[in-house]
Amino acid sequence: MDQIAFISLSVFSLACALGVVLSKNTVNGAMCLLLCLAGIAGLFVQLHAYFLAFILVWVYAGAVVALFLFIIMLLDMQGGQPWRFRLVQALAGFMSAALLLAGLGLLAVRGRLGAGPPAGHAAVGSSLKLYAYQLFTTYLLPVQVMGFLLLIAMLGVIVISRRMGEAEDPR
Amino acid sequence: MKPSLDAYVMLSAALFAIGFLGVLVRRNTLVIYMCLELMLVAATLALVAFSRFNGTEDGDVFVFFILTVAAAEVAVGLAIIVALFRARRTVEVDRLDSMRH
Amino acid sequence: MTPLNTALFVLIAPLASAALITLFLGRRGEIASAVSVITAALVACGAFSLAFGGARFNAAWEWLRFGSFAVSIGFKFDDLAALMLSVVGVIGLCVHVYSLGYMSDDAGKARYFGGLSIFMFSMIGIVLADNLFMMFIFWDLVGFSSYFLINHWRERKSASDAAKKAFVVNRVGDFGFLLGIILCYRVNGTVSLSALGADHAVYSRLVPLLLFCGAVGKSAQLPLQVWLPDAMEGPTPVSALIHAATMVAAGIYMLCRINVLMVPQAQDVIAWVGTLTSLYAALCAVTQRDIKKVLAYSTLSQLGYMVAAFGMGSVGAAMFHLTTHAFFKALLFLGAGSVILGCHHEQDIFRMGGLRGRMPVTFWTFTVAVAAIVGLPGLAGFFSKDAILVLAFESNRAVFAVLAFTAILTAFYMLRLWKIVFLGAPQGEPARHAHEGSISLTAPLVLLAALSAVGGYWRAYPKAFEGVFSQIPEAEGATHVIVLVTSIIVLAVGAGTALAFYAVDGRDTLEGKSRSVFGLLVALRTSFDTAYDYYVAEVQQRTAMVLNFLDVVGLAGIVVRGLAGATEFVGFGVRALHTGRLNNYVYWFLGGVVVLWAYAAGIL
Repeated sequence: MDQIAFISLSVFSLACALGVVLSKNTVNGAMCLLLCLAGIAGLFVQLHAYFLAFILVWVYAGAVVALFLFIIMLLDMQGGQPWRFRLVQALAGFMSAALLLAGLGLLAVRGRLGAGPPAGHAAVGSSLKLYAYQLFTTYLLPVQVMGFLLLIAMLGVIVISRRMGEAEDPR
Repeated sequence: MKPSLDAYVMLSAALFAIGFLGVLVRRNTLVIYMCLELMLVAATLALVAFSRFNGTEDGDVFVFFILTVAAAEVAVGLAIIVALFRARRTVEVDRLDSMRH
Repeated sequence: MTPLNTALFVLIAPLASAALITLFLGRRGEIASAVSVITAALVACGAFSLAFGGARFNAAWEWLRFGSFAVSIGFKFDDLAALMLSVVGVIGLCVHVYSLGYMSDDAGKARYFGGLSIFMFSMIGIVLADNLFMMFIFWDLVGFSSYFLINHWRERKSASDAAKKAFVVNRVGDFGFLLGIILCYRVNGTVSLSALGADHAVYSRLVPLLLFCGAVGKSAQLPLQVWLPDAMEGPTPVSALIHAATMVAAGIYMLCRINVLMVPQAQDVIAWVGTLTSLYAALCAVTQRDIKKVLAYSTLSQLGYMVAAFGMGSVGAAMFHLTTHAFFKALLFLGAGSVILGCHHEQDIFRMGGLRGRMPVTFWTFTVAVAAIVGLPGLAGFFSKDAILVLAFESNRAVFAVLAFTAILTAFYMLRLWKIVFLGAPQGEPARHAHEGSISLTAPLVLLAALSAVGGYWRAYPKAFEGVFSQIPEAEGATHVIVLVTSIIVLAVGAGTALAFYAVDGRDTLEGKSRSVFGLLVALRTSFDTAYDYYVAEVQQRTAMVLNFLDVVGLAGIVVRGLAGATEFVGFGVRALHTGRLNNYVYWFLGGVVVLWAYAAGIL
C-alpha cells in the first residue's frame, strides 16, 4: 500500500515539476508548481509529518504561489513570448542537470542509507503539540530571528516597490 | 512495505535536478524563480525523510524555517523583479545584462 | 704650535681659502688672488717648519666604521712626506705668485685661484695620507682639481674636451687603483701604510700591479698617457703646477709609499713600463710645434725615468729625480708661459725666435732649466739622472741602453726647442714686439733657476730628508766612470746634433729634410689616440648600444611593461567572465560546486 502511494505521488510530483520547467505559458507553469506542491504534501503526510504538510499547502501553495500568480498577472505575461529553442543551451543545461543528479545519486548510494525501516517511535512532526514544544524551547532563538527576518523582508519590499519617481521626491 | 530512505533521497535528488534544469534553460525570470522554489521544496523533502528515518526532530524543525525564509525571499525577490520590470520593461534574463563589463 | 697642529693647518688652510673664494669672492678677483697667494705662502712656511723642524709623527682618527671595517683619516709624516711637502710648498708658492702676473687680466681670476687652492688642499692630502683609502679620496680630489683647472677657459671646446679626457683616462687608472686597495685590504686586513710597513705585509703580485694602475693613470704612463699633452689647454701656471711638478708626481709618491708591498715581478713590469714610456714620449716630442706640448712630452719622458728608477728598486733615486724635475720642469713651464705672454698668446714655436735679446731674464732662466734637464754636469738634473743611470747600469743593462738613448733624444728636442725659440731671428710680428713680463712673473723664474742649479747637491740638503736621500745609489769605481762618460757623450751627441741640424727659419727642418721620418714620428704620436678612438667608437659604443637595447626591450619592455601587460591581460580575461547574464553565472556556480564536491570526495 505504502509503496503504491509513494510511487504514484512521486510520479505525479515529477511530472508536475517537468511541467513547470517546460511549459510555455507562465500561468500554466505556476499551476503545475501548485500541483507539485500538493504531491509533495502527500509525501510529507506519508512520512508522518502532518503539520509540515499543512504548512506547505497553506504557506507555500497558498501564499507564495498566489503571489507568483499576482505578479505574473501584474506584469502581463500570460501569453509569453515564443520560446526560442537553443540547442546548445538546452544541451548544456540537460547535461548539467544530469551531472547533478548523478552526483546526488552517487552520494545516496555510497552513503548506504540502507533500506531499513523508519524509526520506531513517532516522528515529532506528527504531533502538533510536540512540534510546538520543540519549536518554543530548543529552537526559540531561530524563531525569534525568523520574526526579525520577516520584519526586515517586509520593510525591504515596501522600500523596493516604491515607484522611481517617488524615490526622488525631496522631503 | 514502506519505501526506503534511498527512494526518498533519490526522489528529492530528481526534483532538485529538474529544478536546476529549469534555472539553466528558461529565460523568463519568473519561471526561473519558480524552479528555484522547486529546488527548495526538494531539499525540504529530503530533510523530512531523514528526520523520519533517524527519529530526530531537527529535520522537521529546519523545514519550518526553510519555509519561512522561502516566503520572505519570494516576497522580496518578486518586489525586485517588479522594480526591474518597471525600469527595463522586460524580464527576459538574456536582455538583463547591463552588468556586463 | 705642535707639529700635528701645523700639519692640520697646512692641510685645512687651502680648503678654507677655496671655500672663502667660492662662497664670497666669486666676483672679486683681486681679493681672491690675494687670499690664495697668502694661503700658499703660509702653507710653504708651514711645510718648511714641519720639514726642517725635525718632527716626524703619525696620527690617525677613526672616521667611519662598518662593523669590523674602519676608514680613518690620519697623517703619516716621515722623511718622504717632508720632502714631498716641501716640494709642493715651494712650487705652489712660485706658481701662485706667477699667476698673479699671468692671470692679471683674466675675467675668471677668482675661479682660477679657488681651483688652485682646492688643488693645494688635495695634493697635501695625498702627501700626508697615512692610509690608502684616504689617499684615494684625495687622489680623486686632485683629479677633480685638474679637471676644473684645465677647463678654466671653458668657452673653448678644446679645453672642455681635454678636461673630460683627462678625467676619464684618470678614472680608468683609478679603477685599477681601487681594485688594488680592496685586494690589499682583503689580503692584509689593513690599508694603513704604517701598519703595512710594520707587519711585513703579505706578498702578492697582483696588489702592487693594481695599485700601480693608479700611478699609470695619474702619472700618465703607457698606455694611459694620452691625457697629458691635451691637458696643456689649461693656463700655463696650471700646467706648471699640476702637470709638471706635483700632481703627476703624486703617482711616483704613491709608489714610494707602497714600497713595502713590492715584489720583484711587479717591479720588473713597473720598470719596463717606465722605460718604454720615456722612450715613446721622447720620440713624440721631436716633432711638436706647440711649446707647451714639447714640454708636456718631456714631462712624460722624465716621469718614465722616475717610474723606471722605482721599478729598479730605488725609492731614493726616484724621489731625487722627482725633486729636481719639479724645479726645472716648473721653471721650463713658467718660462714658456712668460714667452707665450710676451708673444701675445702665441704658442707655435716656429713663429717665435730671437727672443734672447728681447726677454733676457726669461732667456737666462730657461737656459738654466734646459741645461738642467739635459744633464749638464754640475746642475741638478745631471746628478739625478746620473743616479738613475747608475742604478740601471747595475740592475738591467737593457733598461740602461734604452734610457741612455732616451737621454740623447731629450737633449735633442730640448736644444731644438731652445734654439728655435730664443736664437736666430724673429719669425713673426708678435715675436718682434716681445717684451719681458712683470716682477711677479720673473721672480719665481729666478728662484726656480737657483734651485735648479744647486738642487742636485743632495748632500747639502738638510738632515731633514736623510731618510730619502740616503737611499740614492752611489757609484764607485768603474761603474762611476762609465756612467759619467756615457752621460757626457749622450749630452754632446744630442745637443750638438740639434744645434747643428735645426735652423731658425719658420719651419721644421726635419719635416723638410726627411718626410718619412717625420711622418713616422707623427704617426707614433697619434697612434694611441686613434686606437682609443676606434675602441670607444666601435667596441664600447656597440656594447653600450647592446646594453641599451637590452635595457629598453628587456627591462623596461618585458619586465616592467610586460608585467603590467600580463596583469592587464589577466584582467581582460577575467573581465570577459562578466557577461551580466544569469545563466552563465549559474553555470559557473555549478562549476564551483563540482570542484568543491571533488575536493570533498577526495578526488582533487
